[in-house]
Amino acid sequence: MIRQGLLICLTFIPFISLFFVVPTFEIENNMAIVHTIGLIVILSGINVWLSMMCAWWLLWTDSRWKHVIEWLVFLPLFIPMLATLFGLYLILAEAGLIGTYVGVTLALLVVTIPYSIRLAYNGMAVIGRPLLEQARILPSRRRVMYVLYPLFSRLMRTIALFTTVILLSQFALIQLIGAGLIPTVTTELYQSYAGNNRGLALSNTWMLILFPVLLYFLLSGWDRYMVRMLKGRLQ
Amino acid sequence: MLRSSVVVTIMVSLLPLTALVFLAIESTGTDWGSLLTDETWRDSFVTTLYVVSVSTGLSLVIGTWLARTVVQKGWRFLSSVLRLPMFVPHIAAAYLIWLLFSGTNGIGWIEANERNYVTVILTYIWKETPFVFLMMLGTYEQLNRGYVEMAKTLQLSPVDQFKHGELPFLMKPLLDSAWILIAFISFAYEVPALLGVTYPKLIGVLAYERLSTGLYLEATEPYAVALVWTCLVGIGVFLSYVLTASIRRRIERGVRR
Repeated sequence: MIRQGLLICLTFIPFISLFFVVPTFEIENNMAIVHTIGLIVILSGINVWLSMMCAWWLLWTDSRWKHVIEWLVFLPLFIPMLATLFGLYLILAEAGLIGTYVGVTLALLVVTIPYSIRLAYNGMAVIGRPLLEQARILPSRRRVMYVLYPLFSRLMRTIALFTTVILLSQFALIQLIGAGLIPTVTTELYQSYAGNNRGLALSNTWMLILFPVLLYFLLSGWDRYMVRMLKGRLQ
Repeated sequence: MLRSSVVVTIMVSLLPLTALVFLAIESTGTDWGSLLTDETWRDSFVTTLYVVSVSTGLSLVIGTWLARTVVQKGWRFLSSVLRLPMFVPHIAAAYLIWLLFSGTNGIGWIEANERNYVTVILTYIWKETPFVFLMMLGTYEQLNRGYVEMAKTLQLSPVDQFKHGELPFLMKPLLDSAWILIAFISFAYEVPALLGVTYPKLIGVLAYERLSTGLYLEATEPYAVALVWTCLVGIGVFLSYVLTASIRRRIERGVRR
């Protein structure tokens, strides 16, 4: 019990710093918040969709290309993120997408999708083929609504959360690909960390932590509402 | 719809590989001789190796130990708590760790601009240990305890019990976690740029600053360094997977049976 308590304390200790200084809640550029929320919604949606589809395909396919594609989708995890970013910078410059919303979204998608596929693949493996095999007997609409959605809702929430955290961690990527024209909360806040205004830096830290927390509660609430509604329909 | 989504995913996954081809093309004009003898890059390389090996090594050891302990003792609440740092963005985590250990409001153990990168290492350990923990948790939950019991019956020492009854099964998740962490930590910008010193900088910070600062816009060095670093990581990944292929295949066959 003491060891467990000690480990919990060690995990929580860095959060104590949040209360060292009184945060001053101020953000000058509202567009940064709009861009951040927009990117979170778009990227989470695309990540959840593509990763679930890809993991589902990898789970069921008998294709002889399965192992090659499995390697291909997981390989970017082993390529340093900044190296990918430098190369993407050259590709997107050729395509004229530097400084655009599309360019930033694409670059963020490239760095987040391998993690999402890994999560989706592991999550589906834990649920197991027998249960999913039984679900395949149902017509596709009923299968998705009454079996797959309730089974995968937590997994989808985790993928959305991971995507959000990776997005909020990116300063170099958004600054380089966005050419400083796509402000997000992270790019706006990064300067405050380098400065001496600890109150402002701390309020920014609060904001960076609260984004994923809010998303978690929103998605949890939505999941609970949907599952309850679907249960009501089945009765 | 399923197939078109998979095709889109494959195309997105091909982009990092295409990016490497572009890096190689852009690096063609690099003076490799001066790059390899440049003291700034060399010092950055050494410091990066130190930060990466300490952060990755400690994260792997602590994460594995935690997964083992949580499964053996059935500590479900701790298992949930340990995941929390993963949902804190890296920049926020770096600032929290710096505030905690800095002099003005925190404990005051670490001075500003400390050259040993202790705060960077602590940030990575706090952030990446939960990742390793999650990777190892699934393996430990499915681990057949029969092997450990047999090792105990044979009166092997605790180290040998771990070596023969657990380690072979942990090989794949350990390798996966190790290389993902090495690739991530070794060539990153945000955390070392925020907490690191002006000299020697970590290699990712130096490369990014040379690329984005007006003074070096014409230089191909950052691209060349990014390419070399990716090749080094790639060779490491390839060798480690090839060297452990037979043992991993034997384990997989055993698990399937």
